[in-house]
Amino acid sequence: MIDLQYYTEYFWELPILIKVVWLISGVLFVVILALIAYLKFLRSHLRENEKTLKKYQKEYEENLINYLYAGDNENEISEAQRVLINKMKICVADKFKRKILISVMSKLINDISGEMAHSIQKFYFETGLVNYALYKLKGRKWDVIASGIKELTQFEVKEAHNEIIKYVKHPNLEVRNEAQLYLVSLFQFKGLVFLDKLKTSLSEWAQIQLLEILQKFDNQEIPNIRPWLQSKNNSVVQFSLKLVKIYNQFDVRDILLELLSHENKEIRVDTIQVLNYFQDTECKHFLKTKFNTSSEEEQIEFFRLLEITADTDDEVFILENVAHTNFKIKLAALKILKAINLEIFNEVKLETTDLQVVEIVKFIEAN
Amino acid sequence: MDSSTVRIILLIIHFLFLIYAFTVVVSYIFLAVISAIETSEYLKRNSFVNYSEILSSTVSPSISIIAPAYNESLNIIENVRSLLSSHYVNYDVIIVNDGSKDDSLEKLIEAYDLIEINYLINNQVKTKPLRRGVFKSTNPAFEKLIVVDKQNGGKADALNCGLNISKSDYVACIDVDCLLLEDALQKMIKPFLEVTDIKVIASGGVIRIANSCIIKEGKLMDVNLPSKFIEIAQILEYLRSFLLGRMAWSRLNGLLVISGAFGVFDKKIALEVGGYNTNTVGEDMEIIVRMRRYMEEKEEKYKVAYIPDPLCWTEAPDNYKILISQRNRWTRGTIEVLKLHRKIGFNPKYKLLGMLSYPYWFFYERLAPIIEVIGILYFLILIALQNVKWDYAFAFFLMAYLFSVTFTIIAIFSEELSFHQYKKKGTGFRLILVTLLEPFLLHPFILYAAIRGNIDYYFNKKLKWGEMTRKGLSKTETNK
Repeated sequence: MIDLQYYTEYFWELPILIKVVWLISGVLFVVILALIAYLKFLRSHLRENEKTLKKYQKEYEENLINYLYAGDNENEISEAQRVLINKMKICVADKFKRKILISVMSKLINDISGEMAHSIQKFYFETGLVNYALYKLKGRKWDVIASGIKELTQFEVKEAHNEIIKYVKHPNLEVRNEAQLYLVSLFQFKGLVFLDKLKTSLSEWAQIQLLEILQKFDNQEIPNIRPWLQSKNNSVVQFSLKLVKIYNQFDVRDILLELLSHENKEIRVDTIQVLNYFQDTECKHFLKTKFNTSSEEEQIEFFRLLEITADTDDEVFILENVAHTNFKIKLAALKILKAINLEIFNEVKLETTDLQVVEIVKFIEAN
Repeated sequence: MDSSTVRIILLIIHFLFLIYAFTVVVSYIFLAVISAIETSEYLKRNSFVNYSEILSSTVSPSISIIAPAYNESLNIIENVRSLLSSHYVNYDVIIVNDGSKDDSLEKLIEAYDLIEINYLINNQVKTKPLRRGVFKSTNPAFEKLIVVDKQNGGKADALNCGLNISKSDYVACIDVDCLLLEDALQKMIKPFLEVTDIKVIASGGVIRIANSCIIKEGKLMDVNLPSKFIEIAQILEYLRSFLLGRMAWSRLNGLLVISGAFGVFDKKIALEVGGYNTNTVGEDMEIIVRMRRYMEEKEEKYKVAYIPDPLCWTEAPDNYKILISQRNRWTRGTIEVLKLHRKIGFNPKYKLLGMLSYPYWFFYERLAPIIEVIGILYFLILIALQNVKWDYAFAFFLMAYLFSVTFTIIAIFSEELSFHQYKKKGTGFRLILVTLLEPFLLHPFILYAAIRGNIDYYFNKKLKWGEMTRKGLSKTETNK
């Protein structure tokens, strides 16, 4: 008691700065004790959670497998299946269990197809899980909306189309991506209709995802992509150029030639790549005339095209660029020269004083 | 000078120390808060991502993993196998044997059926010449592997050689002894591909400590907390630095360093700035500062991204001698880079880079050990003069200690709530125990290494990398 009084008096006599220091130390000490206690709780909780998760995962997997094998008619739910649905309906009401069930079903639906996948979708509707996903669409947080769309995509809920299409223009990138993936996953090429009015940029990541999904479908008849190639949205044009290449849409060649004069450099480069893929020779003249004013990337791509399409008519142009400052162009020019006129190639070889050319020539001759 | 003037000067010095300490604390709190926001958003954003699509895509961008190797014979076969096991589709692995004196190359030739090939190198960055040449495998299973044997020129030179060899759009520069998780490349490439209105010039990953982890055939099988204090203390350091520090700087777009152990770069920009600087031991920090400076000068919008997922695991020093040597080098690297790019500092032309990132690194990384030592010396003088109010001093020490412990525990929380890698029972207790002891048992060595780094920088210019004796990750499985 005396000690406490002594320390209290000591504390009140301290200068203000030292008082603050002691107070902060006291607060930090209490915070540390609280954090340590909470850390212990948190780690135990996470461990327990993981155990519970594994337990439920196993249980739900078994239930789902039993459900799949309990069906005797493609369109109707059997009695045994109904029992399992009713059992799982109880779990669905619990958020934690619902999350586990969804993750188990998501994994399962990725591994199965046809009748079984259809059966899982039915299960998704019958247990009422679909309602929770639809409810998520009305959420205020972007991550809730995005997870709802993802779920509806996985379980192919086409009925949500009118709700989800609203999110194609959502300010959040993730929500937009999920909405676009939903449209393409469920409506295939028809789903690409969102490109017509897309104002925001389609990232390279989103483009890759969309293309991969499209390539999984049996129906490879793509719609008219001309309007997209002429879109004011550069990312839509770039995406369409990928479609042109993957789906061999050479009938849009006239637009491709127009795109060679597009104001965006990346689009011009991509266009040359597509023309290269089609081994187009008619664009050569135009590209040659604007070669000196083109960017280095365009010049490199043009030379890649020439590597496939060059003939003796291109000889003068090729010779002009044998001494180009860019290594890739120099290499391509020498390769082409060797292919179209060995005599001139040998002359260049003898006359050159450029060490890089000497090295390239050696490499070309050795391969 | 009369005694009252001296007293005023001393008082000013005291307050300068106080202000410095106060701003350090405030900046740490600020960074921790920003980091928490960024980590939470990152986890939310990536909970929707389906990485499988990019894995099989024919239009996914190409990546070259560049791994310099110097006398890595002990583990080179296992390490290369780990690098070849990525799930990404469009990538190759370039091992640059940087004039190793051991039998690394022979081992690689034998294990991967390598033959010398005629390979035309576009020497965009000058490097030491090749020794035995470029090798590729005759076995289709290893078609992604390229081995380059060159004369020794150091890590930066070897990385530059890899940059010259690579035909990909992006390069992942990595220490050959690091273990990459199979999904590392797709996670690291994502920031480059998901942006539309800004250019990502590099992305850095978290480095985790693999000591005592179980690794089989180049794959991480089980994560364990090491047994030695020094190793656990480094785990805490890494958690603080990567999960709290760099994560926050990434959000502020002010990240000045990407660990040399694992980072992905836009190859075009890396080459445009001239590749790695071979005249510094801090080449990993230097290339990022130079790339940022280049983008600022070009007035192009850019970002250095950062991925908090535990994708890259490496062996940390398990004794004080190697640790001191490593930290000595880090200090010299920081000094060299800040000196080399001093034009950026406090220069509004470089915006955030010049007005925030550079000054922060200068005051709180470069000067911190020096100020700390000055503080210690001043305190010793006060003791000698019997001019210490011990109860006041104790209060300040206690507050500093408790703050440091609190900050480390927050880093542990950040780990638990995000990636929860150390799951085993009893690990939490050991982490807390080391947290309490670290300021006394590790920090003095770190301080000593930093001061040695300063001394070596000014008085021992010839000192370069120093040796890192590795036990090898493949051996760690036997540790348990």
